[in-house]
Amino acid sequence: MAEQLTLPQTATPAAGVRVPSADIYAPKWRNFIFVAPYLFFFTTLLVFPLFWGIWLSFHKADTFSTGKFVGFGNYIRLFNDKVFLQSIWNTFYFVGLTVPALALIGLFLALCLNRRTRSAAVLRTIFFSSSVLSVTIVTLIWRIVYIPNNGLLSIVYGWFGATAPSFISDPNLAMIGIAIATIWWCIGLPMMLFLSALQQIPQDIYEAAALDNANRWQTLRSITLPSIKRTFVLVIIIQIVLQFQLFGQPWLMTRGGPNNLTKPIVLYIYDTAFRRWDLGLGAAASEILFILILIAAMAQYLVTRRKGEL
Amino acid sequence: MRLKNILFAAVSAGAIMVASSSFAATELTVQRFFGACDADFGTNTDVSKAVGECGIITSLINKFNADNPDVHVSVTTVEWPGYDQLTAQFASGDAPDIVTIHESVLSDYQSKGLLLPLDDVLSANGLTPDSFTDAARNGATKDGKIYGLPIDTWTMLYHINMDLFKQAGLVNADGTPILPKSTDELLAQAEQFKQKTGKPYFVQNLANETALYTRNLYTYLFQQDSDFFADPKHVKLDTPEAKKVVELYKAIFDKDYTIKDLDYGGAINAFLAGEGGVQLNGTWVIGDYNAQSETAGTALNKGGYAVYPYPQLFGGAHAQYADGHTWAVSQKDRTPEEIAGIGKFLKFFADNDFEWSRTGHLPAYKSVITSDAFKALPHRDTVAAVADLGKPLPAAVQRQFAIQDIIGEEMSAAISGQKEVDAALKDAESRVNELLENL
Repeated sequence: MAEQLTLPQTATPAAGVRVPSADIYAPKWRNFIFVAPYLFFFTTLLVFPLFWGIWLSFHKADTFSTGKFVGFGNYIRLFNDKVFLQSIWNTFYFVGLTVPALALIGLFLALCLNRRTRSAAVLRTIFFSSSVLSVTIVTLIWRIVYIPNNGLLSIVYGWFGATAPSFISDPNLAMIGIAIATIWWCIGLPMMLFLSALQQIPQDIYEAAALDNANRWQTLRSITLPSIKRTFVLVIIIQIVLQFQLFGQPWLMTRGGPNNLTKPIVLYIYDTAFRRWDLGLGAAASEILFILILIAAMAQYLVTRRKGEL
Repeated sequence: MRLKNILFAAVSAGAIMVASSSFAATELTVQRFFGACDADFGTNTDVSKAVGECGIITSLINKFNADNPDVHVSVTTVEWPGYDQLTAQFASGDAPDIVTIHESVLSDYQSKGLLLPLDDVLSANGLTPDSFTDAARNGATKDGKIYGLPIDTWTMLYHINMDLFKQAGLVNADGTPILPKSTDELLAQAEQFKQKTGKPYFVQNLANETALYTRNLYTYLFQQDSDFFADPKHVKLDTPEAKKVVELYKAIFDKDYTIKDLDYGGAINAFLAGEGGVQLNGTWVIGDYNAQSETAGTALNKGGYAVYPYPQLFGGAHAQYADGHTWAVSQKDRTPEEIAGIGKFLKFFADNDFEWSRTGHLPAYKSVITSDAFKALPHRDTVAAVADLGKPLPAAVQRQFAIQDIIGEEMSAAISGQKEVDAALKDAESRVNELLENL
């Protein structure tokens, strides 16, 4: 290599010999050193557990031993388990409750706060501030709101002589209660993504629209919304992937109850693998969740790849 | 000369290091639940001044460390019951030396060979199983060996607001509460209570709860002589006996004889605020409730506080579900000093079981339960019967906490009307059996 690099200096141009120049993009094994630390952790913490999990899902295993190979036995048990099927439904229901709300409320807040005033800046900070809290704090706050008798909600309802709905234990309201807490917690990110998209729309388009006497509604429909279409799709997909992984909120607020109606797949996995020691069944449920999130991630990949069309 | 000095200094330093290591305290790790209260009792070694489970256990361990300079116990407090964490610790080979485990959970870890049989350690310290109460000895014995030092027997009880019972006319001439003797009587008294006081008879923590439902079911199945765990690997819950119990609690729910929608903390607050007559809670709150009843201005101070075992509602055996707490020791290679330190710790807790019984739990030692000091504690005359009434599930039944969750979920669904009673019992039975078949 060193010879190749020194050749052009020693060879005379008059000789007319075409000297091959060094290909700076050519693969050099020593560059592997730069990515080796990342690859090491990626392999040991992600790739290996992934395949280990797949292997476990085909075995009757508990926390302390790997038992016999059972083929698809764990998957058959899984799909005969009403609680697992319920947990899949719960997860989709929760995603259905939260994702559209996060996208629409996030967009609404961004539209309201997309101005250069001090009050808008303060409100942006306030709306984003809940995002920095941990799930423990968020669920604690919302338990204080929901708790019957002494909770904020029951105090407010009490002023009007009414009984507050029981968001923690009512089978029809429990998941909605968790969704409300989640939306309050997660609204910051979509709002910020929409704000950054709104601030990238060229101002002259709005000026042209104003010259054409376009009203606010027309401007929103014909300029603003089409300009942030890509961000809207991005927000939806990011939130689908995030909300599929629901765990902390139901674990801390309802323990998956009442009657498993707020038990998402991750809580089912935790319950099965770590509380019942049925690691094989838990691993099989993890693979199902993996496939579901993979589908959502592939959708994100396909959508973001076709940038030009959006 | 200089070389000689250096050599002398080195030898001296080495000797000091060897000597100091031989005098160093033996380090033991202890992991427990019962909460954290370091702000109040973090340095307290006067156990008689401590109150409540957390205060007493913290003070006892402080006193052990103070009394035994050759052993040092460092404590990790886990959220109740802490088994998910403990299981992970065992799986990663990082289990604590000594850990609190319920008698009902011992067999999970013992069956995997993770716990040290304590017979030799106990006998080396002068402790013999015949000094335990029958309930404690049965609970701590697995496959003929002792796998945990029992420290108590606990059960669920009727905690009674006597002021509301008086208002309801449910008090005998001698001032004791009138408790039901059959399911019909229970419903009639609950109705009378509701009519006279305008409040529900029961204060229960029904919101997203499992343990309470299951313990209630076990108690009333025992009282009907239902051998629902005749085979420790197969439960029978789709039975007329179980249906009777669930239908009883469903009637209580449907007729508003109970407070609904409260979690555990909320139910305690509601009972202390005088919002219902009977709270179904464990032995562990007796001390705190008694203290409340002695404080002027509280709801329990108005007419007094009483506590009783569950009433006998069926014609079968006089029994109610009970469990107990133990100190278990993880199985690992240890030095003779460490084994001796563990023995000292266990002996210390056995010797101080009276202090622990001040929490409200029943003592695990015959000498304590028959002692005048124990009998002189408030309300022990009414609850001491649990030492004879208390009955656990068969020792060979594994995953009892997971089973408790399944049965509780299904009972909750049936009682609150989300599911038919028959369907819930069928599902509870099949889910528990599916779990046990796949151990």
